[in-house]
Amino acid sequence: MRQVSILGIGSTAFGRHIGTPIEALAVQAAAQALADADVARTEIGALYLGNFISGPLNGQEVLAGMVADRLGLPNIPCTKVEGACASGGIAFRHAALAIASGQCDVALVVGAETMTHASGAEVTAALNCAMDNRSDGASGLTFPGLFGMAWRIHASRYGTTRRQVSAVVLKNKSNGTRNPLAQMGAELTDDIIEQSPMICDPLQLYDCCPVSDGAAALLLVARDRAKGSGRMPVDVLASVQTRGASRIAGHADLCSFDATVSAARKAYEVAGIKPQDVDLVELHDCFSIAEIVDSEDLGLIPRGQGAAWAAEGRTSINGDIPINPSGGLLAKGHPVGATGVAQIHEAVLQLRGVHTNQVRDAEIAMTHNLGGTGIACTVNILRRGDA
Amino acid sequence: MSDAHTILALRCRACGTLDPGPREICTGCLSPALEPVHLPGEGSLVAWTIIRRAPKNFRTEAPYAVCVVELDTGRLRVTGRLADPAIDPPLGMRMRAIEPCDGYSVFVSVAS
Repeated sequence: MRQVSILGIGSTAFGRHIGTPIEALAVQAAAQALADADVARTEIGALYLGNFISGPLNGQEVLAGMVADRLGLPNIPCTKVEGACASGGIAFRHAALAIASGQCDVALVVGAETMTHASGAEVTAALNCAMDNRSDGASGLTFPGLFGMAWRIHASRYGTTRRQVSAVVLKNKSNGTRNPLAQMGAELTDDIIEQSPMICDPLQLYDCCPVSDGAAALLLVARDRAKGSGRMPVDVLASVQTRGASRIAGHADLCSFDATVSAARKAYEVAGIKPQDVDLVELHDCFSIAEIVDSEDLGLIPRGQGAAWAAEGRTSINGDIPINPSGGLLAKGHPVGATGVAQIHEAVLQLRGVHTNQVRDAEIAMTHNLGGTGIACTVNILRRGDA
Repeated sequence: MSDAHTILALRCRACGTLDPGPREICTGCLSPALEPVHLPGEGSLVAWTIIRRAPKNFRTEAPYAVCVVELDTGRLRVTGRLADPAIDPPLGMRMRAIEPCDGYSVFVSVAS
């Protein structure tokens, strides 16, 4: 298999883009990535687009081909990829595989979603497409509900407190204030968080990521092609995808996701690194408690200590393991199909050393994208390449 | 708790694997011979929450409590509704199914 590098990146701001069609956001991000890489369109051999619910929310599918058409790309294979919240991460992995296998030398990855035009109940119902609806869906469970249950278990088992979980919210929202792409950065207080409405006990409003519109894109090349480009590539050391139980009741533990644990283990093995080699991680904090569970599942923090580490500041930009310097899904936003691609966009900025929340001397970054009730997961390990 | 309502599940006639269903073929042996069985509706509380913002199909029911219960039989886990969240039941509490609803069971905590 050939080595793969990321040469170009692009992204819209995340937030409300009422009136801008989803394909227009996707084209905007993709055009930026093309310009950033300075690669001719004729060289692109495949396009993979991550998207989750454009069908139910926009009545628009076939986005991959539509975006290629609008970019004036050659007559190449264009594939839309769906894996709920992991759609973007899966699109990235398949583009990387297309290059690694020799099918093409250059591939474009796009992730896009528009959601803010729909009502809260419509969005919740559309997101519930990511459940096994004949079993879990029948009870009226929601995604915040799943993480409310995870929180209750974490609290019962490890003594995790509201204030400790709030440390994740405070950190990510604050990081978001310094990320120009972020939808909802804010300097909050414990009181503001604790007085916000209850959503799924004990999960409150500020524990939940916002509903977002946005798109992100990456231009991938065979590593040989990156040489002599005059640009600093970011090398893909590992891109792993796994499956977990399709049903909530199928998880051995509701306070850990098998798909994340197995993806991380494999990624470390493929990349030939250890968890302590990771300089920063962009992980799937769809809810505050998810960041805590994910950080433990990824092997970055000992089991049960995720909340304490957050409260002690060990996951801040200057901490032992910086988590979500972008602000994460909580502050940057979560246009579902774009998220996995956007996480890599953030990691590339860090490895180039140009992020507005720069982690000092960042050389190795990890991204983690989790879909559905833990049914799909991707973990990537990226390293700063040689210019 | 002999008055517990039963839980409808599936058992594979070929290998005996139990599954909460719905399921098309046995995940253990791929046999399509899955037969409905009624399991005792008794188990322990794995987790619960209160859904205050419901999807549109459940809007009129909110707020309602959802729980995961591990049945004593086969350690099978089922997702259902919790009838009495107001007592703030601790995880691990004994549970009993009191009624079947539209596609899910309703559980109540049992004082020890």
